[in-house]
Amino acid sequence: MKLNICHLYPDLLDLYGDRGNILALAARCRWRGIEPVIQKASLGEDLDFMGMDILFLGGGSDREQSLLVQDLMRREKELRNAIENGLVVLAICGGFQMLGSYYQMANGKKLQFLGIIDLWTIAGAKRLIGNVVVEADKSTLVGFENHSGKTYLGEGVMPLGKVLFGNGNNGDDLQEGVRYRNVFGTYLHGPLLPKNPHFADLLLELAIQRRGLDTHLLELDDSLEELAHDTMVKKIMK
Amino acid sequence: MKHTWRFWAALWAGKIITKGLLVSGKKGTTLPGKIANMIDPEIMRHLSVAYSDGIIMITGTNGKTTTANLLASIIRQSGEEFAFNQAGANLLTGITGALIQNTRWNGISRAKLALLEVDEATVPKFCEQVSPTLAIVTNFFRDQLDRYGELDTTVRMVRESIPKETVLVLNADDPLVAQFGTDQTEVIYYGVERTPDSQSESEETREARFCPTCGTELDYTLFHYGQLGIFKCLGCGFHRPEPEILAQSVRLQDGLLLFEVGETPFSLLLQGYYNLYNALAALTAARQLGINDGMIESGLRGFIPQAGRMERFHLPEGEITLTLVKNPTGFDQVIQTMLGVNKPLRIFIGINDLAADGRDISWLWDVNFERLGMHEDNISHVICTGLRAEDMALRLKYAGVSVEKLVIEHSLSEALNRLQASRTVEEVAFICPTYTLLFPLRELLESRQQNTELSQAETKWAERGAAK
Repeated sequence: MKLNICHLYPDLLDLYGDRGNILALAARCRWRGIEPVIQKASLGEDLDFMGMDILFLGGGSDREQSLLVQDLMRREKELRNAIENGLVVLAICGGFQMLGSYYQMANGKKLQFLGIIDLWTIAGAKRLIGNVVVEADKSTLVGFENHSGKTYLGEGVMPLGKVLFGNGNNGDDLQEGVRYRNVFGTYLHGPLLPKNPHFADLLLELAIQRRGLDTHLLELDDSLEELAHDTMVKKIMK
Repeated sequence: MKHTWRFWAALWAGKIITKGLLVSGKKGTTLPGKIANMIDPEIMRHLSVAYSDGIIMITGTNGKTTTANLLASIIRQSGEEFAFNQAGANLLTGITGALIQNTRWNGISRAKLALLEVDEATVPKFCEQVSPTLAIVTNFFRDQLDRYGELDTTVRMVRESIPKETVLVLNADDPLVAQFGTDQTEVIYYGVERTPDSQSESEETREARFCPTCGTELDYTLFHYGQLGIFKCLGCGFHRPEPEILAQSVRLQDGLLLFEVGETPFSLLLQGYYNLYNALAALTAARQLGINDGMIESGLRGFIPQAGRMERFHLPEGEITLTLVKNPTGFDQVIQTMLGVNKPLRIFIGINDLAADGRDISWLWDVNFERLGMHEDNISHVICTGLRAEDMALRLKYAGVSVEKLVIEHSLSEALNRLQASRTVEEVAFICPTYTLLFPLRELLESRQQNTELSQAETKWAERGAAK
């Protein structure tokens, strides 16, 4: 069995070791006899969102993000259709913000984004930097945030989890990230998936489910992953 | 001085062996020096005459290497070329090898200045052939080799063998060193007014409880550390000389050692007040060379950024290369270097996430550790330590290094033991720490290296015996 994993704009959105998320997805497929097919796609390339199993969008600097917003806007309809169809998406930081409707800059000007999910981001005065622990789905996610934009979710939109330590979306409402259908947006770098293996497996399960296949994933020995996760949670929450 | 055929034979043999070692990927000055000395036992005398700007000898029990490196850092600021023997090569063979390296095939020296660290037991042999322009004596402590009275013998032999015309740079605070000044023509003393750790009482075992001149118990008003302090002899009046170079306002601040000499402030990225003495010794010698305070200041300040860059330590179980890692590019280069050695590897990685290291360790995922995964057959194990040891191990798991080869060990000392345990001869060991782990690791490696100097005992004592 093969899983198509697309890393979108790896050349532009390459901050904070986010490629570790792709490494984690690929390794966890391989260890189970699933063949990961990694597609690295950049500006102007042909994309088949519907044929993808997992789409990954990382974070980048402001300058690089503005370059690709136009490219992404061109593909908005196809991406929206695939998402409504259950495409699994992991969007981090800048990628997360771009799924929302706009980014309001410090001078009040609004940069229009995809508007696929009802959320928006407002430029903040100070950067929110540091370790984060989030309670999500009865377990914890641990990572590192580094953003100045403050993101707010619209009425009835579900966050990914509740902030136990750190700032999360905006530092005000204890919300972190977003969950919409099979789309996960978050501010957590670290990178996120290697140290939160249960979350990585959730993405794989959903992708397999979308294909209508048996969703049972082989158990892996995650003792090192869990040790890294638990050590940080303990240290942060101390 | 007219060179004999023996000299040419020894020089060329030495140079051919040096070249041969380089071609086979080895660096070494000991073997070429050994062969050259066998061919011409007087080769050092011949080589040393070329140094018209001077030969600086650094000796004493502790701090020789650091002092030599600090002085080297200062001299580099001034731009002058100099010959230099690397740490661990401070016996006759190593010194000869270093001088051969600096001498061209036609017998002409590349540099006019030589900076030579000389083991204290080797000083008599060295001074038989070489007359140092300037000699720095750091301190004298008992090492484990010393039986009763041995230290006194060493001190006496060093004192008697240094030529009268040599300018001495002496540690005023060590009575064993300070006594050297009484019979010398030109002496410059350096010393410390007080450190935050100085005390009026000391429980430490002191080497010089008694006056080196008359044997009366010394009276101290202040102890800096060990027998170093402000002392006087109530019997004969021997007392701590007034230092020309006196460190004042000594303090630690943000990991820097700060002090003032006269009106000039200096800073040092080293920890431990013993390093203050090393800096003072280097500073005093540098002033004597006519280097201005601005260059001295930047030479001292710039020292650590040089250290911990592929720095080698000679431990009993084998050599270790220590190199700072702080970003993906740098780490990738280190990985390239490690794999380029083309030998079985033992790797020790220390990752901290304190402010000076960077709180965010996600950069580890941008390092191409996959190359280690690809060559894991060549890696016996990787020891992960530091506050983020678990993250580091996890990164390596995803890079394709087998989990069985990953060791998480938080104690630095224990981690180092694991690195060195049952090492084979051909295995090469690297330690890669982030910034805040560099200092404790250097200290640990230096202390274990000092212990290994003991294992060089045979050569050392043989040379001492020969000097008697």
